[in-house]
Amino acid sequence: MSVSTKNSPSTNPQSKLDIRRLGSNILGPAVLLGPAGLWLFLLLVLPTLIIFQLSLVPNIKPGDLVIPSGIENYLRVFEPIKLQVMGRSLFFSIGTTISCLALGFPVAYWLAQMAPKKWRNLLLLGFVLPLWTSSLLRSYAWITILRRTGLLNTVLTALGLPALDLLNRSSAVLIGMTYSYLPYMVLILYASLEKLDKRLLEASADLGSQPLETFWKITVPQTMPGIAAGSLLVFISCMGDFVDPELLGGASSMTAARLIYNQFLGATQNWGFGSAMSMVLIMFVTVGIALLLKYGDRDVAR
Amino acid sequence: MPPTDLQRFKLPRGQQKKAQTKPNQNMGISRRQFLQTSGAALSGMALSSCGWRLAEVQSSPGPLPPNKMYMFTWAGYTDQDLLDEFAEQTGIEVIADVFDSNEAMLAKIQASGGGAYSLIYPSDYAVKKMVELSIINELDHSRLPGLANLIPQFQNPGYDPNNRYSVPISWGTTGLIYNSEKIQQPPDDWSYLWKFQQTLFRRLTLLNDPREVMGATLRMLGYSYNSTNREEIKEAYEKLVALKPAIASFTTDGWRTQMLSGDMNMAMCYSSDANEIMSEDEKLKYALPKSGSSLWTDTMVIPKFAPNVDAAYAWMNFVLQPSIAAKICERLSFATPNKKAMELLPDEVRNNISLFPPEAALEKCERILPVSPEMTEIYESFWTKLTSG
Repeated sequence: MSVSTKNSPSTNPQSKLDIRRLGSNILGPAVLLGPAGLWLFLLLVLPTLIIFQLSLVPNIKPGDLVIPSGIENYLRVFEPIKLQVMGRSLFFSIGTTISCLALGFPVAYWLAQMAPKKWRNLLLLGFVLPLWTSSLLRSYAWITILRRTGLLNTVLTALGLPALDLLNRSSAVLIGMTYSYLPYMVLILYASLEKLDKRLLEASADLGSQPLETFWKITVPQTMPGIAAGSLLVFISCMGDFVDPELLGGASSMTAARLIYNQFLGATQNWGFGSAMSMVLIMFVTVGIALLLKYGDRDVAR
Repeated sequence: MPPTDLQRFKLPRGQQKKAQTKPNQNMGISRRQFLQTSGAALSGMALSSCGWRLAEVQSSPGPLPPNKMYMFTWAGYTDQDLLDEFAEQTGIEVIADVFDSNEAMLAKIQASGGGAYSLIYPSDYAVKKMVELSIINELDHSRLPGLANLIPQFQNPGYDPNNRYSVPISWGTTGLIYNSEKIQQPPDDWSYLWKFQQTLFRRLTLLNDPREVMGATLRMLGYSYNSTNREEIKEAYEKLVALKPAIASFTTDGWRTQMLSGDMNMAMCYSSDANEIMSEDEKLKYALPKSGSSLWTDTMVIPKFAPNVDAAYAWMNFVLQPSIAAKICERLSFATPNKKAMELLPDEVRNNISLFPPEAALEKCERILPVSPEMTEIYESFWTKLTSG
């Protein structure tokens, strides 16, 4: 019983049916994909092309003619100071991804494997509930908690421990961003961990492996697609986040996203350079997705 | 439990690929070819459509009912009472949108090709920029009898001679607000920040504005706020790098809650904001640096795409009335340039030196003026270096 289909309309004697089948081959998918395709084209593809066009105009300001003339904007992106900014964005994104993974995996594992079945959906809903509130409000809440006279220090001093000065530092940014993106990671890991075949774990225990070995050799490879997808989602979201570094980061918190913001809404109004930086960020993300498609979709049964 | 015996239904990998590509070959053009050509076509189309103007401001006003007006203003400049009073007096309903920086306001106006605003509140240097970009119209002074109420200095200000394009509504200075309980010695000048860097460690915030912060440093070094000398700006930048470890963050508004709760001991701020916060806490005081600070004026302008010009003039006349100007000066705490209004103010407000500094101090203050695009680039690049280090 093979899954391949033999599609050869040219050998069909009735040509009327041939046209109709061709029509349904095109019309059916067109109607289904049309609305989403149009939305995607108008709101994603076209703006990206406009940004690309703007990035090829050096020093364009609002009111200027758009005539693509050179790649100077891209050369400016690779100045040392801008690379430092990109480096800080990468540091925040990778750090957040790792901490989300470290914190989210146990929670997702517990939810998928060990929580009682009838409570599973409710627990998952409870975990995702903070996403229903505004993300900006949640970042402001972290200011209230991490402030020098905030909640955390009040609790610590009440317990007799020394007060921590976490706000306006990189650590506050990592804490805030991890908190913001943890629900996404947990959701994706949960979806992947739910499908984990317990019999494989039983089998490996029967064959004499320790629980830790079972974890690294069976569980992690089985859930690799979920891990990859979750990490990529958190990474991409973090690269574009300029609210958390702005509110929690203090004086040394310029990220790539904020730099782009400054180009468009700051004093320079250099939309060309901002567009070039945006294109570079888009390239980063595209490379990440390409890597995921290539390595994340492996046949796990192998 | 997911079935694991589907294996026997699966083709080995090689055969799977062949089965997938077979139908495409019959259609004459493969999916990859289609995607490639359409991608190339789209890119070509987008790139060849050059010659369009980016973010052009249209001059055709849209229709609006005569008793409605949209206004673009700063966050603390109007409140519902004021809008209600205006509606009572003239019957025009005003809807106010807020912005927090001149650059954001300019970007929004340009990107939206105009918008529905009949009245905008730019700062002094933004008025010059808007005139250059020809976004605003000249004012018809015959429709503004209240202009005679202004202090002589504001009848012919440097940023807009003879108030051709704008009407000043408030003015103030930039200075330092500090917690008098935690700071033993009150600050007298910008150099205080460097001298007492250790005591202020991470309890100081500065404004999130490159021109204000670098300008203050330039002033302290003896140069002008509007310096166009790269060496001077570099010197100011290096000074700020030395101060950087003591700065907790660069924020224009976020210092308020932090000063009130005692997290911060000193913040660079605008005099009107300082006055507002000082009324909430006795311990906070405002200091105007003696080497000079920046003097800012906020104005009202009418953009050339304004849908309801009559309503805009009505609003301008409304706030130029001495009684109204005195009321908003008191309630919303910003200094008014209206001479008759100042006479109506209660003594404690008129003698408030943070709102109305003495002449001698004002002499040393300077206005921030727009500089050429190349100089803006230089300021911005030093600012980026400062904030990303």
